[in-house]
Amino acid sequence: MRRWLAVFSVLVGIAGGAGAEYPPVVPGTALVFPDDTGAHPDYRTEWWYVTGWVADEAGVKRGFQVTFFRVRTRIGEDNPSRFAPRQLILAHAALADPAAGRLLHAERAERALAPLAGAASGRTHAWTGDWSLEWRDGHYRSRVADDRFAFDLRFDPSGPPMLNGRAGFSQKAPDPKHASHYYSRPQLAVRGSLRVDGATHRVSGHAWLDHEWSSELMPEGARGWDWIGMNLHDGGALMAFRMRGDAGETMWAAGTLREGGGAPRALAPAEVQFIPGRRWRSPRTATDYPVEWELRIAGRRLRLQPLMDDQELDSRRSTGAVYWEGAVRLLEDGREIGRGYLEMTGYGARLRM
Amino acid sequence: MNAALRHVFLASLARRRLATALSLVAIALGVALGLAVQLIHGAALDEFGRGMRLLAGEADLQAVGGRTGFDDALYLTLAQRPEVAQASPVLEVEARLPGRDQTLRIFGVDVFRAVHVQPALIPLAETEDRLAALAPDALFLAPAAQAALALAPGDTLSVQGGLDETTLRIAGSVPGTGVGQPLAVMDIAAAQQIFGRIGRLTRVDLKLARGVDRATARARLGPLLPAGVTLLAPEAAQAQVAGLSRAYRVNLTMLAVIALLTGGFLVFSTQLLAVVRRRQELAFLRALGVDRPMLLRGLVAEGAAVGFVGGLLGVALGYGLAALAFRLVGADLGAGYFEGVAPQLRFDPLASAGYLLLGVAAGVAGGALPAREASRMQPARALRAGDEADLLQARPRWAAALACLAAAALACLMPPVGGVPVFGYAAVALVLAGSVLALPGAARLATRVLGGARPALLRLAHARLAAAPGQTVVAGAGVVASVALAVAMAIMVSSFRTSVDDWLAQMLPADLYLRASSAGASGFLPPEVVARAARLPGVAAARPVRYDTLRLSDERVPVTLIARAVAGGIALPLVAGAGGDAAREPGGLPPVWISEAIADLFGLAVGDTLALPLGGAAHRFRVAGIWRDYARQHGALVVELADYRVRTGDTLANDVAISLAPGATVETVSAALRAELGERTIEITLPGEIRAISLAIFDRTFLVTYLMEAVAVLIGLFGISASFAALATARRKEFGMLRHLGLTRREIGRLLALEGALTAAVGVAVGSAAGGAIALILIEVINRQSFHWSMDLDLPFAALGAFAAALLLLAALAARLSGSQAMRQSAVLAVREDW
Amino acid sequence: MLEIDRLTKRFGAPGEPALFAGVSLRLAPGECVAIMGESGVGKSTLLNCIAGLESVDGGRIVLDGTDLTALDEDAFARLRRRRYGFVFQAFHVLPHLTLAQNVALPLWLLDVPDDAAQARARAMLGRVGLEARGDDWPRHLSGGELQRVAIARALVHEPALVLADEPTGNLDPERAAGVLGLLLECIRGAGAIGIIVTHSQAAAARADRVLRLTPGGLQPEAA
Repeated sequence: MRRWLAVFSVLVGIAGGAGAEYPPVVPGTALVFPDDTGAHPDYRTEWWYVTGWVADEAGVKRGFQVTFFRVRTRIGEDNPSRFAPRQLILAHAALADPAAGRLLHAERAERALAPLAGAASGRTHAWTGDWSLEWRDGHYRSRVADDRFAFDLRFDPSGPPMLNGRAGFSQKAPDPKHASHYYSRPQLAVRGSLRVDGATHRVSGHAWLDHEWSSELMPEGARGWDWIGMNLHDGGALMAFRMRGDAGETMWAAGTLREGGGAPRALAPAEVQFIPGRRWRSPRTATDYPVEWELRIAGRRLRLQPLMDDQELDSRRSTGAVYWEGAVRLLEDGREIGRGYLEMTGYGARLRM
Repeated sequence: MNAALRHVFLASLARRRLATALSLVAIALGVALGLAVQLIHGAALDEFGRGMRLLAGEADLQAVGGRTGFDDALYLTLAQRPEVAQASPVLEVEARLPGRDQTLRIFGVDVFRAVHVQPALIPLAETEDRLAALAPDALFLAPAAQAALALAPGDTLSVQGGLDETTLRIAGSVPGTGVGQPLAVMDIAAAQQIFGRIGRLTRVDLKLARGVDRATARARLGPLLPAGVTLLAPEAAQAQVAGLSRAYRVNLTMLAVIALLTGGFLVFSTQLLAVVRRRQELAFLRALGVDRPMLLRGLVAEGAAVGFVGGLLGVALGYGLAALAFRLVGADLGAGYFEGVAPQLRFDPLASAGYLLLGVAAGVAGGALPAREASRMQPARALRAGDEADLLQARPRWAAALACLAAAALACLMPPVGGVPVFGYAAVALVLAGSVLALPGAARLATRVLGGARPALLRLAHARLAAAPGQTVVAGAGVVASVALAVAMAIMVSSFRTSVDDWLAQMLPADLYLRASSAGASGFLPPEVVARAARLPGVAAARPVRYDTLRLSDERVPVTLIARAVAGGIALPLVAGAGGDAAREPGGLPPVWISEAIADLFGLAVGDTLALPLGGAAHRFRVAGIWRDYARQHGALVVELADYRVRTGDTLANDVAISLAPGATVETVSAALRAELGERTIEITLPGEIRAISLAIFDRTFLVTYLMEAVAVLIGLFGISASFAALATARRKEFGMLRHLGLTRREIGRLLALEGALTAAVGVAVGSAAGGAIALILIEVINRQSFHWSMDLDLPFAALGAFAAALLLLAALAARLSGSQAMRQSAVLAVREDW
Repeated sequence: MLEIDRLTKRFGAPGEPALFAGVSLRLAPGECVAIMGESGVGKSTLLNCIAGLESVDGGRIVLDGTDLTALDEDAFARLRRRRYGFVFQAFHVLPHLTLAQNVALPLWLLDVPDDAAQARARAMLGRVGLEARGDDWPRHLSGGELQRVAIARALVHEPALVLADEPTGNLDPERAAGVLGLLLECIRGAGAIGIIVTHSQAAAARADRVLRLTPGGLQPEAA
């Protein structure tokens, strides 16, 4: 319908304005903290992605997700107007509540225009209206409010950022030009309040933050990706992804594994294998998603099980994007060893990037 | 009764085809004009309102300012307020299109905001490019604009901002706007840049937070607004524009009412004469057992039938006229109230039925009085022939006439109602009624004056007038009404035209005018361009003029601000106060000269203080003078350019008034300007051309009134002709006797002509007096209250004299022709018919 | 039964001299009476009074038990519609209606549907010797024929009372006799009451009774 507003698909696929070229992502660039937790406005696309599990006073478990995207359009870079759409800020939030049986989600889209919306450099601070994600005084805080749900959560890190790939250079395809700067903050302790169905709960749990910026991400012929970010119960963390081709074949895969108390280790493509298991068909979009997986990670056989099957995001009426992103459990030998989030894109229509 | 109604009453209409046809035409004309005006303005208002609603979308309040808008920082302020759920900024530009004679209304919007507030303005891109709507050269055309400009996606369009031309790509459409809104949408940042309006907005549309009502929001947000910006409910803006055009619409409707009145009057005179003629037939019907209500119904049905058929014709004609007007002059009938909408003609059942009913009402009203007279007659007497004069008795009604005139004088003192001079129109109707009531008395006076006449024919004519003053009334009433309206319109139009001509000369003192576009459109002249023009050889002086609109109150549409040099001998058409250097008091407030409309609407007089919102702050000015303005009914004010610039920092100009050095010609300077500034982006106009065009428009506007006058005069003449034709039959014996006494046929013709001329003379005399009075009401009350402008009285004596003489001559001719024709016809018929 | 009892008509307002006074008359259905008198004695006025077209200044007119003098103008008009027929000296045949339409006129006024009315009118035209001429226009007819049309019109709705004012006054003697005979025949045939005002002795002679109007009342005419 409103093709222009398919903003999430806009993430990187820009016909391009007339501004300066996007800088390439090259290996060997040292990430500096906390400067690099802020925005990198020259790059095409950047996101801060928080996912996690929380439990309320009664022990009810829910998954949540909040993302802020920054997109450089290369449009209006010579325009002195304060409305010049040089940078767009897109935000997305979702709540996986087993009582509802499916995701509650909401999104925001704005051109960056202080003080209404923006992404600051120097430290993490992205906001649009009353939605925000900010690093301050040693912790993150995120506020999101919509008609059906809202949350105000504080995230305390348990350790330093975990650099993915080669010291934060994360290759996405055989050609190293398809790459991003990428670090994660696993094992964030969550505290805060959550409103759903008109009731506000005190909640606590664990979350995961990804911060990634790039200029060219998806290679030609890629149909979508599968990604996980798991907080392990032993204090470790696991990130793994694979880029899928048209036939569902793996074009590239990689990951980072930090054993409990150990140092993170980059996983080579051969060490990461995604094997789809039980499928679930969305009654809304008739898309089949493998909601259970077998993972072969560095020689270990792991299983993924969803918090609930229906964690599909159907935004066809607003953003046009349809994908599955939800809370999952990680099992090994039938025993839960961690919890986190699984993202699967490109199972319906091709994800436009 | 139905068959009797059909065969006896309605069929009688077919036996007097000319009279019936004329009545039909007059009623049809009235209905058609009224309905056309209603349809055109109804459609325009509908479309205008639809456009306003569409553009406002789900907005609860709109922050609006003048034409050049306000600082866009206000948007940031409003968007962050807790009372506001969504704020959507808009920059509206009337884009000049170089190389085309149209302009295009372009809305610069933030699509991310508009989607929540004004979904109808969301553009639809042709391409798959997700960011097409943000591209700085992307323009999205509403379907109506695509049609008006003959452009399709993929084409390009040149737009002008200031003197710069930019080529835009038609990137898609605006499907939500429907068919009647020829507008375009583009990204707000690109619009600000292309049209030289960085940092400016013309509107911020607000959707209020849940639980916040408009009054609360206005109270809390109001103090944040800079001077000259107000928060209006979208309906309020619509109502203001509708209110502005109301007086104009009522004025046009009054023309239709006049046509309907003349139609009703024609029905009256033809029915009255028909009743005289059919006296015996009606008496015979009474003898057969037709009771009075039945007779009344039958005769009124005749009038109603004329009204109904005339009304049907009129409704059909009205739609034709409206369709023609839409094609030829546009929806506002050239008056400029509804620019930027392209309404469609739609069938309006309510208005159609209403005007059809009005037609029937005119016929019924015209037929009622004669029917009442007929039902009152004594059938036993009427069965015998020869007492037609009974019906034609008329008593002088001086008291009633004077009461009407006194009431008219009182009505002139009343204020307008909702901007419409209701009492002014009532005064016109009262003067007309009073003059018709004065007619019998005037006829009696005339017979006294003629009492001592010598020539035999004159004596005979006098005797007839004295014996049947009712004939003078029946025949003359039409003349009175038509002469009164014609004379009134002639005096008013002549006064208006002379005043407009003088006004134009005073408003356009320079030798030529340079501009980038009309004041409302996107062209403007930066100061360096004005300086370049001033340095050209042959240019003695180049005086810039800046136009803007200012909101002086929440309740009214913005007034026009004209910033220009007033000092240095450049006069304004002042009606009060002082102009030029004399207006500036040392150390006092700066002067402002207000138009009569502002003086009327805001109750201001010379010496009063007026706060003007300039540059976002209120500045006090002193009213130094009041001037006449025929161009801006909503009001205009003039300030010194220097005063304006100091307070706004705005150095742009819309027009430059150029005076030539001695020896320089308009042609060489125009050529030099074009060479210096470019052919496509500037317009050069000469005062002579503007004057000629303005007067041509003026004359075209009043063409319809000339037509109405002609119809009215025709109807007046018809009244004379019909009454003489009707009575000539009855006076057959009289004429035969005169022939026996030795009068030639020619002399009897002259007698008839003389009677006709005398009857008309009484009507013309009374009508002229009434016309003069009505002209004064039109000028001093109706125009002043409708449009807030004054004019100097100008009596076109020669034209009025010629008109009166021509009317007398035509009346004489009509009386003679219809009288003698009727005599000849009746001589043949008399052999076979018994009455 | 028509009963006229001491009818008085003055020239103008009460107190002025009477045009006629003490006019009394009783007529039974089927009876035809001729009224004669000097010019200006008020014969037509008497007829107009009986028809309710002029007011009376005294006395009563009772038709089949109804006191007509008590009726207002419009009630009288409605009564005329049903119970009266008229024949005028000047015919008053409407020139813009066909013969059938002219004769149908009284039926139209009684709300008889047009088809039925015209059928009855044509039958009536047959009885006055104008069969098959229903679609003709009056301008093609002679005076005698016009008066036949008027007679047909006076009787088509079967009135109780037929008033004729100088019905033969505009006709030459031969035609007058024929028309009068037809009128009387029709009135008698319909069982109506006929009152005929006439100057013609010959005409009067064919009535059942002949009366002379004087200012003092109706006097039987010496045979």
